[in-house]
Amino acid sequence: MKASTRRNLGLAVIPLLIATMFLQAAIDPSVREINKGQKTAFQGLSGEFVLGPLLGLQQAVAGLLWVRADEFFHSGDYDAILPIVRMVTWLDPHQLDVYITGAWHLAYNFTDSSERSDRRYIPASQRLLEEGDANNPEIYDIAFELGWQNSDKIKDFARAEYWYRKASGRHGADERGQAKAPVPMFVWHQLAHSLARLGRLEESVDVWKKALSMSEDFVKKNPTDFSRRNVRDSEVHNLELTQKRIFSRYKHELDWEVDAKVGKGVNRETGEPLSRDTYVFVTGSEVSQKAAAYAKAGLSAPAMAVGLPRPPAIEPMWNTAFDVRPVFTAPKVLEVKGRFNVGDGARVTVRLHDDTYRNAQLKEFSFDINQDQTLMLDQHSVRAGTFGRKVDMSKDPKMYSFKGDTYYLVFEFNPRATSPFIHDRFGWSGEGMTDPKYLWTDSSLQPDVRWVRKVYRITRDQVFGASIPESAVVSNEEYARMMAEPMTTK
Amino acid sequence: MAAAVSIQGLTKKYLDVWNKAEITAVDNLNLEVNEGEIFGFLGRNGAGKTTTIKMLLGLIFPTSGSATVLGKPVGDTDAKAQISYLPEEAYFYESMTGWDCMDFYGRLFRIPEPQRSKRIQKALEDVFLDPKAWRRPLRGYSKGMRQRIGIAQALINDPKLLFLDEPTSGLDPIAHRELRDIIVNVGKQGKTVFLSSHQLPDVELVCSRVAIIHQGKLLASGTIQDLTTGDTVEISADRVSESLAGRIRGVVPAAELVGQRLHISAADPSKVNDVVDLIRGGGATLLSVKPHKRMLEDVFVDVVMNEGGA
Amino acid sequence: MVTLAIAKQTLEDMLRRKILLVLLIIAVGMIALGPSVGFLSPRESSAVLRSLGLAVILLAGLLITILSGIQVIPTEIERRTIYTVLSKPVQRYEFVLGKFLGGIFTVFVMIAAMGVVFLSVLAWQEKRFDPEMLKGVVLTFFQMTLLGALAIFFSTFATPVVNFFLSFGLFIVGNLSSVTDSLISNKNPATRIMANAVHYIIPNFGNFNLQNKLIHPSVEISNANVFIVQNIVYAVIYSAVLLLLAILVFDKREV
Ligand SMILES: Nc1ncnc2c1ncn2[C@@H]1O[C@H](COP(=O)(O)OP(=O)(O)OP(=O)(O)O)[C@@H](O)[C@H]1O
Ligand SMILES: [Mg+2]
Repeated sequence: MKASTRRNLGLAVIPLLIATMFLQAAIDPSVREINKGQKTAFQGLSGEFVLGPLLGLQQAVAGLLWVRADEFFHSGDYDAILPIVRMVTWLDPHQLDVYITGAWHLAYNFTDSSERSDRRYIPASQRLLEEGDANNPEIYDIAFELGWQNSDKIKDFARAEYWYRKASGRHGADERGQAKAPVPMFVWHQLAHSLARLGRLEESVDVWKKALSMSEDFVKKNPTDFSRRNVRDSEVHNLELTQKRIFSRYKHELDWEVDAKVGKGVNRETGEPLSRDTYVFVTGSEVSQKAAAYAKAGLSAPAMAVGLPRPPAIEPMWNTAFDVRPVFTAPKVLEVKGRFNVGDGARVTVRLHDDTYRNAQLKEFSFDINQDQTLMLDQHSVRAGTFGRKVDMSKDPKMYSFKGDTYYLVFEFNPRATSPFIHDRFGWSGEGMTDPKYLWTDSSLQPDVRWVRKVYRITRDQVFGASIPESAVVSNEEYARMMAEPMTTK
Repeated sequence: MAAAVSIQGLTKKYLDVWNKAEITAVDNLNLEVNEGEIFGFLGRNGAGKTTTIKMLLGLIFPTSGSATVLGKPVGDTDAKAQISYLPEEAYFYESMTGWDCMDFYGRLFRIPEPQRSKRIQKALEDVFLDPKAWRRPLRGYSKGMRQRIGIAQALINDPKLLFLDEPTSGLDPIAHRELRDIIVNVGKQGKTVFLSSHQLPDVELVCSRVAIIHQGKLLASGTIQDLTTGDTVEISADRVSESLAGRIRGVVPAAELVGQRLHISAADPSKVNDVVDLIRGGGATLLSVKPHKRMLEDVFVDVVMNEGGA
Repeated sequence: MVTLAIAKQTLEDMLRRKILLVLLIIAVGMIALGPSVGFLSPRESSAVLRSLGLAVILLAGLLITILSGIQVIPTEIERRTIYTVLSKPVQRYEFVLGKFLGGIFTVFVMIAAMGVVFLSVLAWQEKRFDPEMLKGVVLTFFQMTLLGALAIFFSTFATPVVNFFLSFGLFIVGNLSSVTDSLISNKNPATRIMANAVHYIIPNFGNFNLQNKLIHPSVEISNANVFIVQNIVYAVIYSAVLLLLAILVFDKREV
């Protein structure tokens, strides 16, 4: 090759290299979008898996790791799973099922010898889900799981409602190539249930109606989709049920007359007045419009609007006559004996925890729980007006280390978490119940909830057998104030 | 007659990486090869033959000096189209069939079809490669068959100038003779052949002119006749005494006494008589007086030995 | 054309190698076995099937590209077949280009074979053809083209063993583009300079990793098709740079 040709070829390299730099700058933003949320952390990856991420195979490595985690699930080696969950979600932050399975595992699979789960893992479980949700902010799955965990496991229906509502505004990721699939109807159903649990019944009815109209539309367009017809039918059923419960629990019989007078309760298609049995298609907001309707009809408006106590004239307040005596019969062995005047099947929550424990949220996800912390939660069913059993915490020192000096021992009944037949008696928010000693109204959420709760502040000595005097009882207000404080670490 | 190859002051130094020593493989070489001749390029192992040929083909680059091939500077594509090369111990693409290999080389020479197929056929026939082997992979070829493919690929472009680097090494006597005849034939077609070889009898038979290099330096060059002039006479005698041997050495210094036997080679015929007289007069027995034709090999050994090489 | 003749010869020579056949069989086997990872949820198994399929194609493509890229020229020199080629009216640049093209044709044939199997398995498994995956396979091919050009460039002056570590090492460094991208805004000026150098000068193989988007349809980027075209252009231009350099080095190389 001639020297001049060589020089010219050499010079041609320079503009080409500059062109690649400009291209690189143009490509970078897209690469950032693609890799959002993905961490390139290699620590802790075993040899055979390190190479993958180095070659840009994060997703495949994550998949293989997850396949491997399955072995540990089968062998029950749960401790091995958590690091894999962490690794997989770092490598591939879009593996929704890994977040969900990992969080489920954290919240449900660590138990003591009596199958009580280790609640200390719940903040970690929640945080993992929240991280996954932040990495997949358009998809409903993880938000739904957060809703489910908050209602099923934690019984925090306000947070459940928050997450279900978020989930309902998202779209599905199930269908390939149909990334924007609408969320499945069960998301709306759970949202409606959580609203009902919160006593926000009008909104619950609205959600059922919204769900129903979506299903109606869908069935109209896809008349042969029988599974969706089933969904539609269950929505009709739930809507009816909720409305009937509202009516039976909160409505004066006079409603019927009122409705007849103001022209409500007609079949929309035929215009005929509806019979009582089919009188369900009153919109949720219409329920509250009733108050105005009473006035318009010239009737005195009774205290019957949703969320208020049942009129004593119809049924007197129910005295639950709650009380409980805890005794540590042996070190860390708690015997509970209590009475509670409600129907069989209501559950009293028994909770024992350090005075430093709070319902704090984790900022960063971590599997490392505070091993020195003690948190026991048990549910005692009421039978024939009594409840209680032995809670043996002596066999699980890892879970119940009792390192602290002071503890709170809490017995509580939350009417929102209970079953419908007890709601029938007390209303959704405990409006129909009262207790001379331990009634406590939580007004942090609206409408108010009326709890029954007895709290002891006990010492380590008492956990190890010293008797617990009634003077150890602290007021509900004091306990609520304490739990609202931020977490302090000793 | 125009020069097919013309070499001026060509030098190639290799740097031995391990002991940092410089090896001068070719040392200030000047050489002319005329068009149409079969030129023998002789030298011991490591003399620099292959190095010279590779420089002439542009495979390696000279440290200094220059050369033209077919009147063009080394590396010229037009010139290369009329050159061909059979490397020493040539290797080809083992998985190709003989035919495909030839076809590939034909394409490299930019010979279009259908001419290419005809040329391949002719070249393979010219080297007497068994047609049954044409469509078999080279992997299964014997050394002789490979060498034939090597020559055939050097013929495919109907070249003006062929560089053949030890084309006959390692062949059985019959194959050897066949290949030698092929080269002679090539020469008869008026092509120039630059033949590097150790096979001095072959060279003597085939070549019109030779050059001998040693340690990169040109020691001798010329026609075979020029180089082999001066036949010798070999005299042996028995029962030669030490004193007689001394007298004979006064005439022919290279006389060798082994025991009582004397061996002498005398180039000058006038000295033969003197020596025979001395032997007879000295009481020794004259065993034989043999005239000896000087061969290229003798020239080679003389030239190289005189240079003092090991 | 001489270049194409050399490319054809190289392709045929490569395809006759048993190692490539073995690689292809293993890769195809692994792709075909993908659907048998059965315990996962449908969404998980879809992601695993896709990521494993793309990963197998990438890994096999990587091995094939590196093996052929580091070998094609040194083998010619080692077996001395190069003498008969370069002594013919063949320009050295034609030889380099022919060898590069031959290697890339080989990679193309192998990736295409694996791609067809992968897309068929996927279509059979999910009862529909997913054109997105084709984009992944195409980008992998261009990523390998760039890697092949890199290996060819190194092979003009480095031994195959050295070349293996150089090419493979740069492939890994070039794959860390998201790391270098984030380091560019580092506070430490030395780190910034290093990161910029690595990010803009070393061939950026990380650009081609579209898997995250392909496997998870929810990952959206504003201009996916432009992105793909940009990457192909990047691969072509950068390969051209490497080939120019390879030609310049090889022109002065003694064989
Ligand atoms: N690449 C190289 N690096 C270093 N030295 C070399 C190289 N190639 C050849 N030589 C040395 O150059 C000298 C000449 O070698 P060359 O191959 O030209 O000899 P030759 O005459 O062809 O010998 P032979 O008859 O054995 O083929 C030798 O001493 C050899 O060791
Ligand atoms: Mg030689």
